[in-house]
Amino acid sequence: MNLPRAFNPTRKAFSEQMASRGAESDFAVFESDIGYSTYSYLFGDRFPERYFNFGIAEVSTMAAAAGMASNGRTVFVAGYGVFLTMRALEVVRSFVCYPHLNVKILSSHGGVTAAIDGVTHQATEDIAFMTTLPEMKVLCPCDTASAKAAFDLALKTPGPVFVRLMRDPLFELYPEGTSFALGGSKVVREGSDITIAAYGDMVFEAIDAADRLAARGIRAEVLDLYSIKPVDWAGITASISKTHTLLVVENHQARNGLGTYIGDALLQTGASVRYDHVGLEDRFAESGDYRGVIETYGLCATNIEAHAKKLLAANQGR
Amino acid sequence: MEETTITRIEELKDIANEVRFRIVDMVYRAQSGHCGGSLSAADIVTALYFEIMKINPAAPDWPDRDRFILSKGHACPVQYAALSLKGYFPLDELGTFRKLHSRLQGHPVAGKLPGIEVTTGSLGIGFCEGIGLGLDAKLRKQDWRVWIVLGDGELNEGAVWEAAQAGSKFHLDNVTAIVDRNRLQNDGFCDDIMPIEPVVEKFRVFGWETYEIDGHNMSEIVRTLHVARQVKGKPTCIVARTVKGKGVSFMENVRDWHGKAPNSEQYEQAVRELRGGRT
Ligand SMILES: Cc1ncc(C[n+]2csc(CCOP(=O)(O)OP(=O)(O)O)c2C)c(N)n1
Ligand SMILES: [Mg+2]
Repeated sequence: MNLPRAFNPTRKAFSEQMASRGAESDFAVFESDIGYSTYSYLFGDRFPERYFNFGIAEVSTMAAAAGMASNGRTVFVAGYGVFLTMRALEVVRSFVCYPHLNVKILSSHGGVTAAIDGVTHQATEDIAFMTTLPEMKVLCPCDTASAKAAFDLALKTPGPVFVRLMRDPLFELYPEGTSFALGGSKVVREGSDITIAAYGDMVFEAIDAADRLAARGIRAEVLDLYSIKPVDWAGITASISKTHTLLVVENHQARNGLGTYIGDALLQTGASVRYDHVGLEDRFAESGDYRGVIETYGLCATNIEAHAKKLLAANQGR
Repeated sequence: MEETTITRIEELKDIANEVRFRIVDMVYRAQSGHCGGSLSAADIVTALYFEIMKINPAAPDWPDRDRFILSKGHACPVQYAALSLKGYFPLDELGTFRKLHSRLQGHPVAGKLPGIEVTTGSLGIGFCEGIGLGLDAKLRKQDWRVWIVLGDGELNEGAVWEAAQAGSKFHLDNVTAIVDRNRLQNDGFCDDIMPIEPVVEKFRVFGWETYEIDGHNMSEIVRTLHVARQVKGKPTCIVARTVKGKGVSFMENVRDWHGKAPNSEQYEQAVRELRGGRT
């Protein structure tokens, strides 16, 4: 894969954009004592009067955000995905989503990207929880340009928005200034044999897998589904009408992730598509370096390649 | 009441120093982990494992053992060091900390490693788990105790105070919580991020018997832990004044050393200070 290495993780790019937009919009930022991890301190340093650190108290932080948002001010709540989407889940559901408030969630360390900290810090069910909530919009950028755009989308989209960000810097995919839309997607590799749809870090694994498949004469199309909810049905449909084969890849539990949603919808439409997904197979991961963990748990190019080949072999039998 | 001799106190100080070396060594080898909060708790954890708790490393599942819970799970290097020095697993295994397929996970995981009683890492939870364990000791009419170490930033979590109420309601005199009052949390000094004083008074009005000690004075630590064991009818809380990063000069009281690994130069210096005495 010949993409340039990223200097900054998406959590930092997002927070940089948040700090740079602070002058033109009067949103507030709520933090719960991991401002140096989420980089929310970048906003706090520039706009101390609109930056509130609640200490290690995710539930009350989220509820206070709902309170402030009820008075008409947009609030970004920064934190680790595990704590914001699970410990504060009831607040997000009943007091942010139900009243459709402008609370935006900066959710760092998505998937197993907090690899080295272990399972208590790995947000591998966040997409299931967040996409299940009515009113909630869910985004997952993979690089600097898309992370900055995700901030702008979160700010301008009415109501609750959840943005999943990563711990580690990976690669740069999009030129600065690329436009992204709520409900959009990007074709990052064109192909006609199989569609590989991914989001976040798994976009890079999918690209890597596509390169490996190309070496064997298989043309894979790679879709970046950065808008997880709403998802780009038109984009998915256009791609699978060529390939008739879809592999959804996510750094998340395979069960109840984006793949489950797409697979279910495809069944409803009766589309004739071979479908499979790659994700955590109903198990917890463990501590280790990022690369080691994603490879051990199959969230990697070689496993995507293997699944793709199996899927295509099944296709030939039809 | 049980007593600890002066010679024993000196031995405990030496062990605490060895625990400190192992912490720095572990985090250095993993190039990841939390030095500051592990070092601040080293004396307390040493006193518990090597003098106070009723435990048997050869029988980690002995039903009558005391239970130790590191509620501030990120400081697990201190617990892993104490467990291995105590003989729960080989010292060599400390080198696997945070690496793939290790039993020494980034935060303590119950069932993976002998001596880890409950899974922690999400702040505020271990303390609540300790309340549940204390209740079961009562239910079973067994006389083992639960010892919990909490961070001071951790006290921000509402769950801590919910469980503090329960500890008092259920008269859990078999539970002792020790607050590692190092005055720092992740984003800065507690006073700036979330002021928590008066901590001792808060636990007292929640119905706990309270003590305030110097968390680096071994004889005071040991003496107070012996006293806490005698209290009847309510849980005990010891607020231990400590220094984050204690023992490594450049780590002491520095926010940045909450969750950072030393480079080779810093490692050499830390080892000189811990093993060779400070110059
Ligand atoms: C529920 C939860 N929120 C946030 C974190 C991230 N985190 C890890 S350590 C830490 C600061 C802890 O401060 P303190 O309790 O004072 O520990 P110490 O100073 O002893 O290291 C934070 C916020 C966490 N582990 N759990
Ligand atoms: Mg502290």
